[in-house]
Amino acid sequence: MKMLLDLLADWVWLVPVLPLLAVVVTGIRVLLGRASGDAAEPLTARLASLAAFGGLALLLAIDALALVHGAPGHRRLAHWFGNGNWEATFSFMLDPLSLILGTLTALIGWLVVRFSANYLHREAGFHRFFIALGFFLSGMQFVLLAGNGLLAFVGWEMCGISSFLLIGYAWHRPVATGNALFAFITNRAGDAGFLLALGLAAAWLGGFEWTALSRAKEISVVNDRLLVIGFVIAALAKSAQLPFTAWITRALEGPTPSSAIFYGAVMVHAGVYLLLRLEPLLVQVPDVMIGLVIVGVLTAIYAWLCGLVQTDVKSALIFGVVFQVALMFVAIGLGWTTLALVHLCLHAGWRIWQFLLAPSWLSITRERPPAPPAWLRNNQLLYTIALQRFWLDKLAQTLLVEPTQSFSRDVRGLEAHFIDRAIGQPGQGRALHSERPLVRVDGLPGRLLAALSDSLQRIEYRLLLRGRGGAAEKLLHRAGAYLRTIEGLLEQPRYLMMAVMATFVVIL
Amino acid sequence: MSGPRDLPIREQLAAWVDHLTHVLPAQAPIRDFVHHNTLHGFQHLPFDHALAAAHRQSGALTYWPESRFRECFAQGRVTRADLSAALDDAGVADLESLVVAGLTRRDVLLTSLLAGDEVAGEERIAWLRREGLCDEERMFQACASVVVASPAAADELGAWAADCAEVGETRTWRDLLAELTGEDVLERTRSILQRHLAAHLDLGVAAWRNPARDRGFFAAWRASAGFDLAWEMDELPNVRDEILHLPDDPLDVLLDALPRLLPDETRWFGYLERLSLELPGWSGMFLWRDRNPSRGDGTPVAMLDYLTVRVLLERLLTDDLVRRLVGWPMGVAELHAYFRERTDELLVRRAAHRARLPEDLQGEAASLVEQARVGHVDEPAWQALAERLRPELAQLRVNGAAWRLTALVRELGMTPDAVASLGMQDADKLLACAASLNALQRGHVWLLAYERHYREQLFSALAANHPRRLSPAVPSAQVVMCMDDREEGTRRHLEEIAPDIETLGAAGFFGVPMYWQGLDDPDKTALCPVVVQPRHLIRELPAHGAEALAVRHAARREKRLRWRERFYQDTRRRALAGPLLAALGSVPALAALTAATLAPGWFAETRRRWREQFDGRVPTRLALTAERDDEATPERPRSGWSEEEQVERVAAFLRMIGLTRDFAPLVVIFGHGSNSLNNPHLSAYDCGACSGRHGGPNARVFAALANRPEVRAGLARQGLAIGDDSWFVAAEHNTCDDGVEWYDLEGVPERFQQALDRLVGQIGEACRAHAAERCRRLASAPMRPTPWQARRHMLSRANDLSQARPELGHATNAAAFIGRRQMSRGLFLDRRVFLISYDPTADDAEGRIVEGILLAAGPVGAGIALEYYFSSVDNERFGCGSKVTHNLTGLFGVMEGADSDLRTGLPWQMVEIHEPMRLLVVVEQTTDVLTAIVQRQPALQELVGNAWIVVAAKDPASGAIQRYCPRRGWLPWSGPAVLPQVARSADWFAGQSAALAPAIILGGAR
Repeated sequence: MKMLLDLLADWVWLVPVLPLLAVVVTGIRVLLGRASGDAAEPLTARLASLAAFGGLALLLAIDALALVHGAPGHRRLAHWFGNGNWEATFSFMLDPLSLILGTLTALIGWLVVRFSANYLHREAGFHRFFIALGFFLSGMQFVLLAGNGLLAFVGWEMCGISSFLLIGYAWHRPVATGNALFAFITNRAGDAGFLLALGLAAAWLGGFEWTALSRAKEISVVNDRLLVIGFVIAALAKSAQLPFTAWITRALEGPTPSSAIFYGAVMVHAGVYLLLRLEPLLVQVPDVMIGLVIVGVLTAIYAWLCGLVQTDVKSALIFGVVFQVALMFVAIGLGWTTLALVHLCLHAGWRIWQFLLAPSWLSITRERPPAPPAWLRNNQLLYTIALQRFWLDKLAQTLLVEPTQSFSRDVRGLEAHFIDRAIGQPGQGRALHSERPLVRVDGLPGRLLAALSDSLQRIEYRLLLRGRGGAAEKLLHRAGAYLRTIEGLLEQPRYLMMAVMATFVVIL
Repeated sequence: MSGPRDLPIREQLAAWVDHLTHVLPAQAPIRDFVHHNTLHGFQHLPFDHALAAAHRQSGALTYWPESRFRECFAQGRVTRADLSAALDDAGVADLESLVVAGLTRRDVLLTSLLAGDEVAGEERIAWLRREGLCDEERMFQACASVVVASPAAADELGAWAADCAEVGETRTWRDLLAELTGEDVLERTRSILQRHLAAHLDLGVAAWRNPARDRGFFAAWRASAGFDLAWEMDELPNVRDEILHLPDDPLDVLLDALPRLLPDETRWFGYLERLSLELPGWSGMFLWRDRNPSRGDGTPVAMLDYLTVRVLLERLLTDDLVRRLVGWPMGVAELHAYFRERTDELLVRRAAHRARLPEDLQGEAASLVEQARVGHVDEPAWQALAERLRPELAQLRVNGAAWRLTALVRELGMTPDAVASLGMQDADKLLACAASLNALQRGHVWLLAYERHYREQLFSALAANHPRRLSPAVPSAQVVMCMDDREEGTRRHLEEIAPDIETLGAAGFFGVPMYWQGLDDPDKTALCPVVVQPRHLIRELPAHGAEALAVRHAARREKRLRWRERFYQDTRRRALAGPLLAALGSVPALAALTAATLAPGWFAETRRRWREQFDGRVPTRLALTAERDDEATPERPRSGWSEEEQVERVAAFLRMIGLTRDFAPLVVIFGHGSNSLNNPHLSAYDCGACSGRHGGPNARVFAALANRPEVRAGLARQGLAIGDDSWFVAAEHNTCDDGVEWYDLEGVPERFQQALDRLVGQIGEACRAHAAERCRRLASAPMRPTPWQARRHMLSRANDLSQARPELGHATNAAAFIGRRQMSRGLFLDRRVFLISYDPTADDAEGRIVEGILLAAGPVGAGIALEYYFSSVDNERFGCGSKVTHNLTGLFGVMEGADSDLRTGLPWQMVEIHEPMRLLVVVEQTTDVLTAIVQRQPALQELVGNAWIVVAAKDPASGAIQRYCPRRGWLPWSGPAVLPQVARSADWFAGQSAALAPAIILGGAR
């Protein structure tokens, strides 16, 4: 049995890779134009569902064996790349934390895939949706099961990209694409934190493995703090805590099942997982933990106030989600990691149900929820603040998105006005010399080439074509004479031996 | 501020707001979804004029795109003969006149309809010419050589002046500015307004409301906007000050803002109308709440408030945009003069969005406009690009004409040489003739042809079926169903299974308009067509002796629902209880989700059983008879009917459906409703004659009335004798899962038991056969299922959380038959026809009964057909788009995502297989009677005279069919009366998934 566990644990990479395979197959079918019409839908849906179920079954088997024999722990499967000082590997972490969350995610993922097969029937973006969803499931499992930070980061980015794709699912609506861009850019701030932390970990801890984190005691508190702050920023951004909360409230443009799994149940908890994973590092820096408590409490207040004024079901639910995730951050800040983990699992289970049932709100609820206490109820200023969500999305738009957009505009301007002109375009050339209309150039490389060919031509013309008596001919004659002499010498055995020995010396 | 000056304007505004009810969507909060004509406000116009007006006003498509019709042509669903007849029907003049040698106007128009009117873009033309066939290229060359370079470059300035003059007529400044700058202020307006609007109209999602909402929307918005820092962040620094200093009366604000937008007072109304139509969903809902204050939650809702805020924002945001556009503060009204001086810039700006321009030029124009937005562009840059654009624009016109001509002559089968010899003049004539119908008229001709094709099939079917006159001599049972098109299938299968059963159809409230309060209902609901106001309340009460049981039931049910409410509501807003409840609910939720995913049917059944076990079952009775004889009004409905009223209702209904003698031992009143999960548009699938509710209670009430000895005695006095050997039974058909719920079976006397058992079995079998027929249109259903498989599929489908198409509703409805069942019994009609029972031989000479039927069923049927029509021809504007991104808002509607207009109409999933055509109503009555009825009923005059429905008469005796044309009167039909014949329905539809033509079913003959 123990052997079986080892065997299964070595195959755990299948959990994130299976959905990826389904994505690749569907992607190829779309590219080949094989994915259109009703007949193409079941294959796409079944592949995605099979991949999700395969991952779930494998994880359940590992779970069952782990219950008997204990969790397999950290598994290093292969070398990825690295140098003498640090190494990146394909390694997976199969401790209770990863196994629990991985299994829960696999279950929710499988259910959502099944749900979507009916829900998105005959949508123009059916296959696109399943590609993005499969990509997300794969990325999420990389985050949860990865044995090192680098692999987790790859998953982290995959989640970000698929989130972007699904917010912009209805790409013909400007609001949807605008919000997709907004969420993508705001999340980049978190990625910067993650990357910074990874770089520091490589430098100070000698690798990205989560196991290396237990050596955190060996580095100074100052270094530790910097490292942790990087990860904390990443966690705050992904889990939509202050000051990043705005993105999640604008991310509800996709189809209901994608809203449910991304923002209701799974991806929003990725930041909480990251902090749970980093617990050994975190306990070294109590001040950062206090910071977490503060951010969590502020986010909770923010989400609670905003949640009271929401009038559409998806927004009302999303603030409920952010509120409870904020409580998890508070719990982690206070060191109650087990509580946070239990809360996370139960919360995810409830929210997936509640989000998928959002269209039923009419028949589920009967009456308006009771109003808040009078001091709050009658405060016009607070009401406006809550209705405008503390202007956070406007602020993020002004501080993050718009500068990014103007930067990209500048880069485009630079490209159009300088780089394009410098490089030139095919077919746009103009003749340099009026007497040679066939030589047409555009851009700097073109001009350089033209100049080079001009000078070569001059050389050819001047030196060679002028015929006998030219400088080149004399030079060549002299060089020919030298070469003949050397050849004659080399033909003698002693010089041949010397040449061979010299060759050996060079080689050795 | 109530001087004499503004009194007229106040009245004028009120009139304008009244007028808006004609153009804005009139959809009630989504819980009460009832089908109605989407263009109800245009119903006073003839159909084609109304569609043109609606198109002009909102830009929506009002016909299927021609490409869809041409697909139908390719499939043989429209033929050349149909098109030719449609040209006559449409009243196109001079059809037989010669255009060029050998070609009449009819030929050219027909060819043009088949060739299409779309012109490819420059890039595509260039590509086709590079890559395309040699032949095509020669043809295009030949055509290009004969088209006259159309009139010199149209006058840019004239076009600009015309566009500016359109403001207040068909467009707004934001529309014009969006074209010039590529920046749409509507996006911002909506984002700013949407949260406030939803908060003000909310019917029960938000816990915390605007403290100032009691003073109306304008005051509430102003109170909030005054604190809003978003203005500063949006770089609109003065706006907040301006808002803080606004007058208190919205009218003053409106009268201040309007002249600044439009100095010309006569165009104000047009502008307000256009403005409201830019956000039709929100405007419509606001207006509906304004008109129906009693259906809200007490928050004052005045349309004037909304218009004021809308106009104010339009002014503020367009001012800001104009300032950024020209570089200094300038009134939007001066825009015309400004660009008159800058023709080059104008040309480039307008070209940036022009379709069909070569992409590189368009790209350059767009990038110049973008450059102007973020920085500054010099005059010479505009000029340089404009110089390059001008010849291209001229070329565009030539190529366009050549493209059209190519398509036309190819369809005519001409060779390039023949074209070349055509000469410029003839080519011009051809093109002019083809272009003499505009896009709307072309759409109308296609629609007429499309309708005609189906109509011919239907008339053939009726003619072929006329001599058969199937009906059981001595029926074993009579089943009265709703007229609903979906029940056509159920009736047909029932008759096939039990040829001795007679079926009838009537509007599904069965002549008993009432307020209904079931045992578990907290409030009363109206169960009757929306146009009727019930005056009586019928309550379901616990049966005698079951009172204690009912009390316990109510308490346990209340407890269960309170906990459910707690779970869903508190997990989103309670700080402490939220996490606890979420944690508690988590494991059951995951288990439920898994079960509902793997076995939805089983899980739903189990859940229902558990629920019933927990709540306890209570036998119930109906409180039918009034205890006191006070006056009954819609405002204060009386509980129960008096004896006379009961007799009156039953007698009128039986007379209407022509069931006055030969009562079978069992008469089943068969209501219907639809149950599906996770579906905000739930009530759109329910019974339209019961205001989008279940019709079961009406059936139950009617049966109970008809069984009362007192009522039967009263009926007998009127000459309507129902013997002791007849019993009325009620049931409800679930059109989604094809299940049947029977009512009050325990009260059926012993002597009917055997017949009842047999009937229950037969109806169950019919519903299963019907389920098998429904499977053929559903992609995820099994192909060629057995009836039991089909029923199991429908059961799990109805209970599937993830199913966006629990059933297909009225999709493909196309006609209504009013007459005896003999006219349609034994015909396969593909669930496309409303069947209403009416016996012309029992009616009086004036046709009073059919008049009543037409008055009740006409608007209901037309409403359903037209709502489906418009939601399918333009699902983006008239419908509500795809369900998958829908987000329920304020319990009154759906948005796409969390920031969009409110979406009204039918979702795309409901109409995707619909075949948009007007309802064809065939009445079994003489033309004289029908003409007289239509003439004396204004409501019918509007529907029929304006061609919102097509009426045909089938002579009760001879079976001759005549169709009514508003322009030409009654037109006799003649055509072949032959039809394919099959033994059973299943033989005709097995393996088919597309729409099917009528066929004769031999099995039903006995």
